[in-house]
Amino acid sequence: MTRITIDPITRLEGHGRIEIFLSDQGTVENVCFQVPELRGFEQFCVGRMAEEMPVITNRICGICPEAHHLAASKALDALFGTQPPPTAKMLRELLYMAFFVSDHATHFYALGGPDFIVGPDAPPSERNILGVARKLGVEVAGELIACRKRNHEVIRIVGGRGIHPVAGIPGGWSRSISEGERVVIAEAARMNVEFAKQTLALFERIVLDSPLYQDLLTSDVYLHRTYSMGTVDGNNQVNFYDGNIRVIDPDGEELVSYHPNDYCQQIAERVEPWTYLKFPYLKKVGWLGLTDGVNSGLYTATPLSRLNASEGMPTPLANAEYQRMYESFGCRKITAARYQPIHHRMATHWARLIELLYAAERMLALVEDRQITSKETRIIPRSADFAGEGIGSVEAPRGTLTHHYVSDGRGLLTKVNMIVGTTNNHAAIAMSIKRAAEKLITSNAPDEAILNRIEMAFRLYDPCLSCATHHLPGKMPMVVSLRDNSWSMLREIRR
Amino acid sequence: MKSGTVIIGLGNPQLSDDGVGIAVANEIARRSELDDLTLLELNGGGIRLMEAMAGYQRAVVVDAMLTGSEPGTVRRFDPDDFVTTKNSYSSHDTDFGTAFQAGLLLGIPLPELVSFWGVEVLECGVFSEELSDVVAAAVPLAAELIVNELKNSEVMR
Repeated sequence: MTRITIDPITRLEGHGRIEIFLSDQGTVENVCFQVPELRGFEQFCVGRMAEEMPVITNRICGICPEAHHLAASKALDALFGTQPPPTAKMLRELLYMAFFVSDHATHFYALGGPDFIVGPDAPPSERNILGVARKLGVEVAGELIACRKRNHEVIRIVGGRGIHPVAGIPGGWSRSISEGERVVIAEAARMNVEFAKQTLALFERIVLDSPLYQDLLTSDVYLHRTYSMGTVDGNNQVNFYDGNIRVIDPDGEELVSYHPNDYCQQIAERVEPWTYLKFPYLKKVGWLGLTDGVNSGLYTATPLSRLNASEGMPTPLANAEYQRMYESFGCRKITAARYQPIHHRMATHWARLIELLYAAERMLALVEDRQITSKETRIIPRSADFAGEGIGSVEAPRGTLTHHYVSDGRGLLTKVNMIVGTTNNHAAIAMSIKRAAEKLITSNAPDEAILNRIEMAFRLYDPCLSCATHHLPGKMPMVVSLRDNSWSMLREIRR
Repeated sequence: MKSGTVIIGLGNPQLSDDGVGIAVANEIARRSELDDLTLLELNGGGIRLMEAMAGYQRAVVVDAMLTGSEPGTVRRFDPDDFVTTKNSYSSHDTDFGTAFQAGLLLGIPLPELVSFWGVEVLECGVFSEELSDVVAAAVPLAAELIVNELKNSEVMR
C-alpha cells in the first residue's frame, strides 16, 4: 500500500495533516486527517470551580472564543439550576451575532472565498485577502476590515473584553449596556445588514453568473449524501444560540429533534485504529465507515446542514435568499417552508453568506428591542448544593458545539466533555478529501492543482483544527509525500 | 496618526510553554522602564495580529517557537526573515506577511518598525498554566533583550 502524506509544516503549530493511503492498484483506500493532539484538557479542568469555565474554555480556541464562552455559560445555567433573565439571553445572542458576522465575512473575503473570488487555479499567493483587494478593489477589502473592526468593538462592549469575553456567568451576564452603547451597536448592526446584502450580491456576480463556478458548485467531486444537523428554534427555523438539535436524513425527512441534554443518547464517537481522530455518528443509524447514504450515520454540522435541517430563516431577507438558493439547485419543497437538502458541499459557501445576512438581521432586531438595556441581566443561583450536571450547546460557525460538565457539591468540576464544531465534520471532511484525491491523484494533474483541490475540499468546511491557533510566518505549509510499501519516498510535492 | 509601542504576547497561557510570549510581555510591562507602552495578549497570528498593530509606531511580537534549537533559546526576527509561501497556513487565517501587506494596501496605519521575538519551547501540547523550568528561566532574558533594543532604537516619542 502506498501512503501519501500532506503535512502542513508550520514552525509553531501543527495544523491538519492529511494522509492518503493508496492500494497496490493505486486507488485511494482511505484518507486520514490528523489534527495536532492537545493533551490533558479534562485533567486541567477537573477540580476547578465550575464558574471558571467560560473564561477557561474561551482560550482553548483562537478562532471562536465567543462560541465556547456561550456554550460554557449555558452549561453553567443548567448546572446551577438557573434560567437567565430575558435581557441576559439577548445580550449573549447579540454578542454572538456580532461574532458570526465577523467570522463568516472573514471566511468569504479572506479565507475560503478567494478560491472563488480570485479563482481556484490562481497562484496561492493571490488566493488571499491581498488577491481579493487586487481583484475587487481596495474598497471591498477595506469593507471587510471595517466590518471586523466594528464587530470586534461590539464584542468588547457587550462581552466586557475584546478578544476573550468575560461577561458570561451562571444565570446570566455580568454587564448591561447603556442607551449610548445601544445606539452605537444599532448603527453597527445596520451597517452589517448592508454589508451582508452587498456580499451576497457580489457572490451572485462572481460565482452564480459564471459557468465555471456553476460547474464547481454543482460538481460531483464534493457531493456527499449525508445526514444534516442544525439547531432550530420553536418554529424549526435556524437559531445559533438556543433550541433543539434537529437532524434530517439525506432525502430530507426528519430523523430526530432532540434537546441538547440528550446528545449522549443520539451521538456516538467512533475510534478507528488508523487515527486518533474521533468520528461522531448518529447512534440511531449506526456506523458504516467513511461512506454516505441513508444507512450511514455520518452527518455534517455546517452552514449548509443547518439550512438543510431547518424550515427556513427567521429573518425576511435571509429567508428570501434561502429560498433562492434551494430553488436554484432545483430542490423541491417537502414541507411548506423546507426544501430537499442540498448535498453539493461547495454550496456551503453560499449557505454561509445566507447565515451572514441572518446574523446581521438578527443582531439588528435584538438591539432595536429596548429591553436590551434593562439592568436585570442575572438571576443569582440560590442553591447551596451544586452537585449535578450541566450541558450547554450553541451553533458555532463550524458546527454544533456541546459542553458537558459534572460537579460535586462544592461546585468543583469532576468531569468535563466537549464535542467541538469541527469534530462533527471530521468524517465528512475526510470523505471530501478522499473524493478530491480519487479524482486527481492518478491523473496527470500538476502538483499545484492537486494541492489546490484538496485544500478546497477541507476549506469549504471552514475547519477549526487547532486549539492554539497562532503562528508567526513560518515555512512551507504543505508537503505531500508518496511512499511505497517499504516507506521509500516515491515522490514529494512541496510548496 | 501613529504613536507609541505595542508589545504583543502571542499564545495560549493555558497550553504550557505556548504561553511564553505572554509571560515575556508581562515581564516587560512589569519592568515598566519605558513610556508609552501598550501591552496586548493575542491568540491569532494573521489578520488579527495586523489589526492589533494599527495605530502604533512600533510593534514587538513575542511568541513561542519550535525550531529544534535548545529550549529557552531566544531569537529575534525581522518580518523579512521569514520564508513565506504567501499561502494560508491555517484554513482560518492568512500569514502575517500577507495580512500586513493587505493592511498597507488598505491604508491602515501600521507601524514602521515590527520585530518578532521567539522563545524556543519544550512542551506546548499539554494543558497547563505552568511553563517548563528551562523556558521560564528564559523569560527575564528575553524581556531584557527586548527592553534594551527598545531603549536603544531610534524611534522618537
